[in-house]
Amino acid sequence: MLAYVIRRVLIMIPMAVAISFLVYVGLDATPGDAVSFMLSPEQMSGANPERLEELREALGLNQPLFVRYFIWLGGLLQGNFGYTLTGGVPISDLLARRLPATLELAAVALVLSTVFGSILGIISALRRGTATDNTLTVVGMVGVSIPEFFFGLVAITVFALNLGWLPVGGRSMPQYVTFWDRLPHLVMPALVLSIMMTAGVMRYARAAMLDALNKDFIKTARSKGLPEWRVNLLHGFRVALTPVVVLIGFRLPALIGGSVIVEQVFQWPGVGSLFVLSVRNQDYPVVMAIALISVVTVLVVSVVIDVLTAIIDPRVRLGN
Amino acid sequence: MRRKAGAVGVHERSWITIRELNREPIHMKKLLALGMALLMSTSAIGTAAAQATNNNPLSDVRVRQALAYAIDMQTIIDTIFDGNAIKAVGMLPNGPFKNPDLNPYDYDPDKARELLKEAGWDSNRTLEMVYYYDDQITANLMQALQAYFADVGVNMNARLLTGDVAKTLGAIPPNPTDKSLVSWDLGYGARAAIVMQEYYNDYATGKASSDQFPGTPEMDAAIAATNASTDPQKQKEAFFAIEKLMNDNVYTIPLYYQKLYTVESDRLNRNGAPYGNEQFNYNWDIQNWTVEADASGKHVFYTNGAPVDYFEHPWANLGLWVGNRFVFDRLLFANPTMTGVAGGDLAETYTISDDGKTVTLTLRDNIKWHDGEPITVDDVTWSFEAALFVPNLHGVVGKTLNSLEGAADYVAKKAEHISGISTEGNTITLKFATLDPNVLISLSQFAPLPKKYFEGTDPTVLQQNAFWQKPVGSGPFKVDTVAFGDYASLLPFDDYFLGKPKIDQVVAFASADGDVNMVKNAAANRIDFAITKVTSDVKALEEMPHMKLTPMDIPYTRMMWINTYDK
Repeated sequence: MLAYVIRRVLIMIPMAVAISFLVYVGLDATPGDAVSFMLSPEQMSGANPERLEELREALGLNQPLFVRYFIWLGGLLQGNFGYTLTGGVPISDLLARRLPATLELAAVALVLSTVFGSILGIISALRRGTATDNTLTVVGMVGVSIPEFFFGLVAITVFALNLGWLPVGGRSMPQYVTFWDRLPHLVMPALVLSIMMTAGVMRYARAAMLDALNKDFIKTARSKGLPEWRVNLLHGFRVALTPVVVLIGFRLPALIGGSVIVEQVFQWPGVGSLFVLSVRNQDYPVVMAIALISVVTVLVVSVVIDVLTAIIDPRVRLGN
Repeated sequence: MRRKAGAVGVHERSWITIRELNREPIHMKKLLALGMALLMSTSAIGTAAAQATNNNPLSDVRVRQALAYAIDMQTIIDTIFDGNAIKAVGMLPNGPFKNPDLNPYDYDPDKARELLKEAGWDSNRTLEMVYYYDDQITANLMQALQAYFADVGVNMNARLLTGDVAKTLGAIPPNPTDKSLVSWDLGYGARAAIVMQEYYNDYATGKASSDQFPGTPEMDAAIAATNASTDPQKQKEAFFAIEKLMNDNVYTIPLYYQKLYTVESDRLNRNGAPYGNEQFNYNWDIQNWTVEADASGKHVFYTNGAPVDYFEHPWANLGLWVGNRFVFDRLLFANPTMTGVAGGDLAETYTISDDGKTVTLTLRDNIKWHDGEPITVDDVTWSFEAALFVPNLHGVVGKTLNSLEGAADYVAKKAEHISGISTEGNTITLKFATLDPNVLISLSQFAPLPKKYFEGTDPTVLQQNAFWQKPVGSGPFKVDTVAFGDYASLLPFDDYFLGKPKIDQVVAFASADGDVNMVKNAAANRIDFAITKVTSDVKALEEMPHMKLTPMDIPYTRMMWINTYDK
């Protein structure tokens, strides 16, 4: 297994470089550059073109594409993400203050959706064809189908504006010190983000559980006189867990990249809203840094999933 | 987020029809408009060369006038804008410089058709309209304009600009008679002005700007006249003349004047402070504002405009953002309507010579930066010189600084300093090579920065300095803590020369210009003060009993640029 992991890690490096280059080229192909986005059309007429060219030169935007890419890559290899073009903020600082917000939201949403999705999926499978199963199936379909912004706006209207139980948005306030101070801000975005994920996990868990319950080893377990709960949870659920783990694992990179919509609706200062802003401003060092983090996360998670799958299901042999 | 780029096809059915837009009986409007048009038509056509001046049919004044007559702007305002705008007659806002003798181009489709026929308009031609506002109201406006133009036989496609918008709008050929560098025919945009000259300076021959007007000797002379004097009477005459010239020739179609709304909660008391043009800086006396105490007895004032990732320097968007408004003070105080100067701010006194070419500023003795260091003439002179290299320096301030004696040599790096700036004690003397009629207004919007934080910084990348993570200012509030993208907390500056503010803390939520979360925050009692120009925001805020809206007529004209370059 160790050789497999090392091989996968080594393959990750050229893959990450190749993907980062594709992102870079794609971003470069869009019209304009960071300087043209620093000025509104209304400001542009009053601006001095020479000053704008000087700024482009100072920011290195006049360099050819390949030169700019390798300067960026060279900086990265030295552990330097560079600076934002628009505000000159060190990108490592920017990520250091944005990533925790996203991770916090993602972690809570992931835990909630995994726990509730798995439990509801198992219940649905064990109660197959009953009113409970049908109800959960409908709820799951609704959860998957309705966009996050709708749930977000409904939640804000009910819990923040009408009932006044929770803050309308943001992550914090000046007087807050601890996580528990900030917790009320986290509740709504985390719950809304987890709704769609819970529905997805539930559907997966139900299907996987039904599949597992039809296997011969379940019949064998039952014929041996094992209690039903033991058959379902220790034998059935363990096998059903494999596709669920894969699903959850591949959700993680998307969450690291930030849930753009939820962050926008709840004014959550995470990586998702930063990514949107940076793409819009053509602030390519920021876009590249976030894209690279997402890419690396995907690659790492895929290795971790392989390993976890092998642990969960001994029939899986890595590297063969 | 910007809407996806897309065209409003002429063959698609517009869901806003002209009939739906007209709430009043159309025959009355027609009669009134026709009468007005007949009265105005002789002078309008007579003063312009009634033929195309190049291969572009839009260079024919009759076509441009026809487009102006084809639009029922008042109905658009009543329907699409819910009445929250004023029909524009002329580029300049209503006020002392408004020429009363202008053709209002009231809706008259028959007149439009007649003019198009005279001009030999090819009804198979399709005009391309571009716009850069990505809101639904603008999309509705585009559909309305498309319907109005179609009604008089002019096909139009509308396209939302994305990417390098400024370049797409403003690129011009090296020679005014050369072919146009842009593909579009009509452009929808705006001018938010501090001074009236801003409306017309871009129309000068050879000036790259969105108006896509190649220039004429008459316009150049008229523009020069508006910049030639500080005498209000002479300025008035010059603006009357240039407005008439524009009105007759319709180089651009002014559509409407936008209203600005000040949004305030019932917790806030301005204690008699005046209302003004909140997009710019004036003496709004905020140190005397009060807000009701919260449950803990603290007087916390909630607003928006906090930075997303860095504080923007105060020389671009002069009065926007919480940093510009609260953290920095200027050299002079403008009056609320930006029509003149109300007195000294950081400069206690000022003088201006009879010819307007020499200005002196004497700084107050007791003024300090938020770090406790005194504000000196060195800081001010360094700020003037640095600003000249800042790429997005506001145009009005830029014009003032570039008019200084020796500014050209300094910018060309032939001189170490601007020769037109000298200091003696606390007094700074500014000598101008050419008259800038708006020098005092410029100084009322110019916030000096503390020089010591920018030692070794190339002013071209001034915005990229770490200073903008927590700027040290000169205004009534100092930066306390900032959670970028979330909020900024400001505290009263004890040594503020006008007295320590009565508000205990300013909490500003992060937002861009046009805060999409403002209504939501206002509903949740998280806004005590904000400004908006967004019609849908106004409508929602009007339904909140705890919020008060105060409309202001500001110099902000939305217009339709017409590309008259050769094609």
